[in-house]
Amino acid sequence: MRATIKLLVVGALIVGFALPCYAAKIVIEGSTTVLPIAQKAAEVFMDKDGKADISVRGGGSSVGIASMIDGTCDIAGASRAIKDSELDKAIANSRNPVAHVVAMDGIAVIVNPSNNVNALTKKQVKDIYTGKISNWADVGGKNEQIVIISRDTPSGTYEAFGELALEKDKVRPDALLQASNQAVASVVSRTPGAIGYVGLGYVNSAVKAVTVNGIMASKETVLSGTYPISRPLFMYTNGQPSGEVKAFMDFVKSSEGQRIAEEQGFVGLK
Amino acid sequence: MKKVVVMFLLTGLMCIGGAIDFSHAGEIDLLLQKLVDKGVLTPGEAQQVRTETKEEMRKEIVQGKSETLPGWLQTMKLKGDFRFRVQNNHPKTAGQSENERLRARIRLRLGLEAKVNDQLLVAAGFATGTTDTSSADAARSTNQTLGDSFAKKAINLDYAYAQYTPVGWAVFTAGKMKLLPWEPADLIWDTDITPEGAAVQLSKNINSKTTIFFTSMLGVIDELSSESSDPVMYVLQPGVQYQLSDTVSLKGAFSYYDFANIKGRALDGSTGTNSHSSGSYLRYNYRPISPAIEIGIKEPFKAIGINVPYASLFGEYVNNIAISSKNKSGYALGFKVGAEKIQKWGDWDLKYIYAMLEKDAVPDILPDSDRYGGKTGIRSHEVMFNYGLSKNTFFGVDVYRSWALASAQAPETIVQLDWNMKF
Repeated sequence: MRATIKLLVVGALIVGFALPCYAAKIVIEGSTTVLPIAQKAAEVFMDKDGKADISVRGGGSSVGIASMIDGTCDIAGASRAIKDSELDKAIANSRNPVAHVVAMDGIAVIVNPSNNVNALTKKQVKDIYTGKISNWADVGGKNEQIVIISRDTPSGTYEAFGELALEKDKVRPDALLQASNQAVASVVSRTPGAIGYVGLGYVNSAVKAVTVNGIMASKETVLSGTYPISRPLFMYTNGQPSGEVKAFMDFVKSSEGQRIAEEQGFVGLK
Repeated sequence: MKKVVVMFLLTGLMCIGGAIDFSHAGEIDLLLQKLVDKGVLTPGEAQQVRTETKEEMRKEIVQGKSETLPGWLQTMKLKGDFRFRVQNNHPKTAGQSENERLRARIRLRLGLEAKVNDQLLVAAGFATGTTDTSSADAARSTNQTLGDSFAKKAINLDYAYAQYTPVGWAVFTAGKMKLLPWEPADLIWDTDITPEGAAVQLSKNINSKTTIFFTSMLGVIDELSSESSDPVMYVLQPGVQYQLSDTVSLKGAFSYYDFANIKGRALDGSTGTNSHSSGSYLRYNYRPISPAIEIGIKEPFKAIGINVPYASLFGEYVNNIAISSKNKSGYALGFKVGAEKIQKWGDWDLKYIYAMLEKDAVPDILPDSDRYGGKTGIRSHEVMFNYGLSKNTFFGVDVYRSWALASAQAPETIVQLDWNMKF
């Protein structure tokens, strides 16, 4: 009987130690803004490294950071820096969140090329999108109604614009919502009184980007942090990454990884 | 590699140079720009170094390990709030003669938290109010009425406790605690009460949508030198929080309370509305059970073009299972619309609660002191409106209209106009 118990205990220990090795996969969880970078990077990384097994899911920055603190994910995607309260919790849980900037998020404000307005302040952008300003004449343009074009609410760009430009206020309810950055640029290019916002990678010759607080959206102004509607995007790991997690983080920060970030509409760091 | 070296040097420089709160950020930006201009770093690498260095510094300060600030400053937090209130009470007695009262009141609360180590903190709070234990306000109010020929006002110990967090999902608290079981409609507890004793709180994310929590508390109600069986309170509250979708969340809990050894005793702060055997001695012990639920919805009226950020519906029920007679239950139902949290100018919320509490549902030392003076055996409507004036300050109007269930007393109306400031 004792031998059987010993056998069971030893067996359980072997299975207990072996299971994590067998199931050694990387779990990424968090920000829906960072999600497209994580998904595409994971896909390409797994193609290159046949042994890698990466699971990617959204849920939001708070969920990702909470999971990293609880130890249920290896990498937390976050469109904001970790909060002091989350750092407190991490420290209490003997965790050491290490920030990795994986791309920059910059959102350009665009108008129809026929519009004579070239510059807006951040406050004017907010007032236009929240409905306080509804005519271009109020910001130095022609006497023409402003047509508001916005991304739809599930979009990460909508969320980022709401936080960075509108200070969490809501876009006026009669705005025309579009399902993609390309669609926003297309509608603005065809509508004389329109204003829209798109990821920096989607500005093209059919639309005109305006300066915000005197600064034009560009890779340089976003990377230097001077363009007001920009922010860093993070992945957090528990301590300095090692093993497969390090290999993946190195890949995300590599030229190839940064190219993936640019393909998803963000500003790469390389 | 060069990026790692630059980041290491910058972090070291900030520590040695006494750069606190990133006040040298401008100089660091200049240094990074020079490195970019000389081709040592790309603009992207400079941004990476700038941001990751700041994040490392923040972490060090939160951990209290930075050499740039005195340890006590890094491990202590001071917070507080001040409220100026104008309150009108308009009660009617049995004879229908009106007895109006208009008061100016203030509330000042100061709280201090100090980290003993990474797992242990000590917190203390001080607040205005009275310590006259014969009054219901001693435990249930931090208001100070202005008057008495400009007399100085007292500040009392509101709470003082130690909190141990061995792992992120478990918190142990002991002392006079700023901690109450969760309830959405304030049916059982006045939120100013700070229970005394010890508590365990467990909270765990089961998956990305579900969090389970459990609160257990042992509270000291009174200590009698002549008795071996002092009045105590036991609380068990399991609960769950579930994200039904991106916009809809659900929180529910079931509470079990056991107020033991209070039968035959007179409790401090009692409003005298529980059943008594003789004089002010309680006839019963109290073991209320209480299920409660709250549903929160983000942008609930978006489909019809109305921009309201948040709405919630909530309810609770209580039943004292220690007795079999009548008048032992209660319930509250309510809703809230507006901002989830008042943070800036123009944020607003509107809340309504209907509450009914029979005379022996809970001990009468607990209920909201604004609902008919904190008595049991009442029903009450409450409408509350808050409006953000700027960051950390908001204006509020709170109106109660309450009735006694059993007696012939007519309704009491309370109107409170509040100017709130947090710091």
